[in-house]
Amino acid sequence: MLLVQVLVGGLLLGAIYALFSSGLTLIWGMMNFINFAHGEFVMLGMYAALLVVVWLGGGPAVFGVVVALFLFFMGVAVYASLIRHVLRGPMLAQILSTFGLALLLRYTAFWIFSANFVSLPETWLSGSIDVGGIWLPIPQLIAGLLAITLTIVLHLLLTRTTVGSRLLAVAEDRNAAMLMGIRPDRMQALAWGLSASAAGIAGALMATAYPWSPSVGETFGLIAFVVVALGGFGSVPGAMYAGLIIGLIQSVSAFWLGPIYKDIVVYALFAVLLWLRPQGLMGRA
Amino acid sequence: MDRSWMKFAAAAACLLLFGAHLAEAADSVKIGIIWPLTGNAAAAGQASKAAAEVAADIVNNAHPELGDLPLAKTAGLPNLGGAKLELVFADHQGNPSLAQQLATRLITQDRVNVLMGAYQSSCSFTATAVAERYGIPFMVGESAALNITGRGFKWVFRGTPIASDYARTYMRFFADMKKQGKKIDSIAIVNENTDYGTSVADAIAAEAKNANIPVAIRIPYSASSTDVSAQVLQLKEKRPDVVIFISYTADSILYMKTLKNLDYKPPMIIGDDTGFSDPSFIPAVADIAQGVMNRSAWAIGKPGSVTYKINEMYKAKTGRDLDDTSARNMQSFFALADAINRAGSTDPEKIRIALTQTDLKPEQLMMGYQGVKFDSTGQNILASTYLIQLHGKTYDLVWPERAATAQLQWPMAGWAK
Amino acid sequence: MALLLYPLVFTNPFFLDIGVTFLLAAISASAWNIVGGYAGQISVGHSMFFGLGAYAPLLFYQWLGWPPMAGIPIGIAASVGLAIIIGMPTFRLTGHYFSMATIAVAELIRIFTGTWDFVGAAIGLQGPATARGWWDLTFRGETPYYYIFLGVLAVLLFITHTIERRRFGYYLRAIKARERAARSLGVPVLQIKMKALMLSATFTSLAGSLYAIKTGFIDPESGFGILVSVQMVIIAALGGAGTLFGPLLGALILIPLQSATNTWFGGGGSGLTYILYGGIIVLIARFEPGGLFELWHRVVAKYRSRHHAA
Repeated sequence: MLLVQVLVGGLLLGAIYALFSSGLTLIWGMMNFINFAHGEFVMLGMYAALLVVVWLGGGPAVFGVVVALFLFFMGVAVYASLIRHVLRGPMLAQILSTFGLALLLRYTAFWIFSANFVSLPETWLSGSIDVGGIWLPIPQLIAGLLAITLTIVLHLLLTRTTVGSRLLAVAEDRNAAMLMGIRPDRMQALAWGLSASAAGIAGALMATAYPWSPSVGETFGLIAFVVVALGGFGSVPGAMYAGLIIGLIQSVSAFWLGPIYKDIVVYALFAVLLWLRPQGLMGRA
Repeated sequence: MDRSWMKFAAAAACLLLFGAHLAEAADSVKIGIIWPLTGNAAAAGQASKAAAEVAADIVNNAHPELGDLPLAKTAGLPNLGGAKLELVFADHQGNPSLAQQLATRLITQDRVNVLMGAYQSSCSFTATAVAERYGIPFMVGESAALNITGRGFKWVFRGTPIASDYARTYMRFFADMKKQGKKIDSIAIVNENTDYGTSVADAIAAEAKNANIPVAIRIPYSASSTDVSAQVLQLKEKRPDVVIFISYTADSILYMKTLKNLDYKPPMIIGDDTGFSDPSFIPAVADIAQGVMNRSAWAIGKPGSVTYKINEMYKAKTGRDLDDTSARNMQSFFALADAINRAGSTDPEKIRIALTQTDLKPEQLMMGYQGVKFDSTGQNILASTYLIQLHGKTYDLVWPERAATAQLQWPMAGWAK
Repeated sequence: MALLLYPLVFTNPFFLDIGVTFLLAAISASAWNIVGGYAGQISVGHSMFFGLGAYAPLLFYQWLGWPPMAGIPIGIAASVGLAIIIGMPTFRLTGHYFSMATIAVAELIRIFTGTWDFVGAAIGLQGPATARGWWDLTFRGETPYYYIFLGVLAVLLFITHTIERRRFGYYLRAIKARERAARSLGVPVLQIKMKALMLSATFTSLAGSLYAIKTGFIDPESGFGILVSVQMVIIAALGGAGTLFGPLLGALILIPLQSATNTWFGGGGSGLTYILYGGIIVLIARFEPGGLFELWHRVVAKYRSRHHAA
């Protein structure tokens, strides 16, 4: 009985992991580039949600939209001002660029918001429902369901729409795409926007259910790496499955081994993956 | 070319260093205080800073309304001709190496006469070692790790109760409860896993062993967890009679909410200060955490009492009530000032001797200790604590009974209407 | 040169402490430089080697009562072992994998250390409070530390300089510039990268040991924390990654700057240091990956060409 509770909790959390990791894997697939600041985008989404609620008094629907737009804009801005230039540069520049960005975002958040944990004020979304002995906290439930839905939406966007196929074309073969009249630069900017947006929404969803502080960016960033490594670099469906699996693994190891070990298990899994199958479940090497 | 670059940079660096040299002042008694004013523990550091400033004001100016509190009636230190206390703060940002460097700076550059600090035990370890090396008295106001006063140092003193004191208090409380017929067959310890949580948890586990109370489960966790359902489920499985939480603010609040969400209410919960005492705890979870117990050596007391007046002074400065940690720092500060006054000089050895001879009585204290008296390791052996319980929107003193102002509620009501 | 005379001029213990901190930072950054600057393999989790080197001596002291120095070789052995474990799978793939692995493993070790009682868990370990003899290396004044660290730095720079001029150095530069081309020209890429990492790990571990002996205290955060890694990277990158004196220059600027801002803002500051670090790293990445040395050379070259044209 308790085990089922643990599994359900893990799945709900895993859904959110899936959402924000799908953005990371998209960027990798397109540009062979790892965004070390991805966790910070999630963190920004959380604080943006807080600001919307506190300043504008908006409800979840409002801040969801605001966060999505704000992070989209941020993603494009980061691409245009920074990423575009370092893509052609040495590896040092590429890695340092987002690493430095992560630090910048994280410590600015510390400075503005302090290290204290914050959470959103209680809304109509609080409480739990009892389903045959399993307690489902409502915020987590809604967050999880929305996250999975959005991940699937992203996948459909990429595979079923014209814009999506253009993005994928650039990922597949940049030069060929150019010959077809697609502007890689635009598509890459779009990808960054989508990636950041997905991360931000995931953050906003988490904000309804859990407390956070500026330090969560670091943890989420690493979890995103693991999810992407497991699911395959470049595969959004892979990120979805992997996200759920990682959520389950975390939840189960927290219950069986003790909460301290849940992160250790995940990072150890990452190390093992690198050793055995770097391209992940569904990715291309 | 490279060489001249280097020389230029070296010259610039030297200029920067000289710029960092502070101007000197004289004639007052300087107290160097090393706390985390930025970083993770900044809120606590800043609160204690405000408390220290209030304490300095009490010593430096005449406050006859504060009764027998040492040095309150007079302005400045009478035995030093009315010399004022001057506070020099330094921010170690939670970094033990920086704490070491700052202690050195305060002693050699700012020429402080005594030191206080440092909140995080890791920083207290390194800073006190510097004080010991230079022969400057160091008063530790609040760090919990046992070993800070256990290293055979002569110059380190600690005014606050330590983990083993709290653990023994809890065991005495359990013994009392058992005599009243309450069932305490096992307890659980849930602790955040930095030095604070770990030292207290270790102490409780050890004392529980001595008192023959089995620990059903011990759950260390990371204070920055966003989800604690696994922990609560583990507790639900083990069904302890008392759950002791040693946690910071966010996690304390998160636990209360998760307990309600997963519908698990142990007969009694004891929160080991810190998170449970934070000003944001009560507003966030009071309605679902009724009957939760806590410890505090500080009680605001009735209007008109000395402690109430001190709280008013602090509230005027910060807008909040004085919290237990800052209060303990304040008490240690008073003990230090009292010793300096008795020494009648700023000579470190004289101050040190005065500290070893400290013997403050309960009426002279703002805290509920049985006194202030340091043993040969520098630890205040008369430090102790009350137990309080959440009734409505405030904590009431419920134990020991001789000091209680309200009835103990057992089992706790939690979120029951 | 000037470095040798420093302690004689600045006898004040506080300034000496800054000097010692500077040397330590220069050693760590120069060690990182070997694999990050010269070989172009960017490690953002180098604290794992630093931490291993820091814990080993204090473990020896804590459990066996031996002088901390005895633990130094063990720390180095552990670091080199770790280097092999990380390098083997990731060096076969593109650079990003290595970087990700370094950050994940460093975090893993940090959390794990915080839960393991044997190594002090979250409370950490302490060194000898007072020296039992010169071999404990617990000095009252800072001067002996200064010269020991200076010696280590000199050795490290000498080794780096030698590498620069030998074939190993050429291989490193080739790998950094065009890995695929280097491989097709017969450069044993995997082997060379591993050697660079192992050498770097050795000296980073040594730096960690020196830190632990000097500070007399270590815990998971000060040994394996991300800020330890960040500092190594930023100092090397600011001065000029891949140059001999780059890390030294970076340390010369950043360490006094850190101290000065703490003094000025100290009592009421707001932790601007790390915001600044993040900003500096981004600027370096965007505009001048070669660091200040590169900047200087470009400025000089422009000046020279203008001079000649006129």
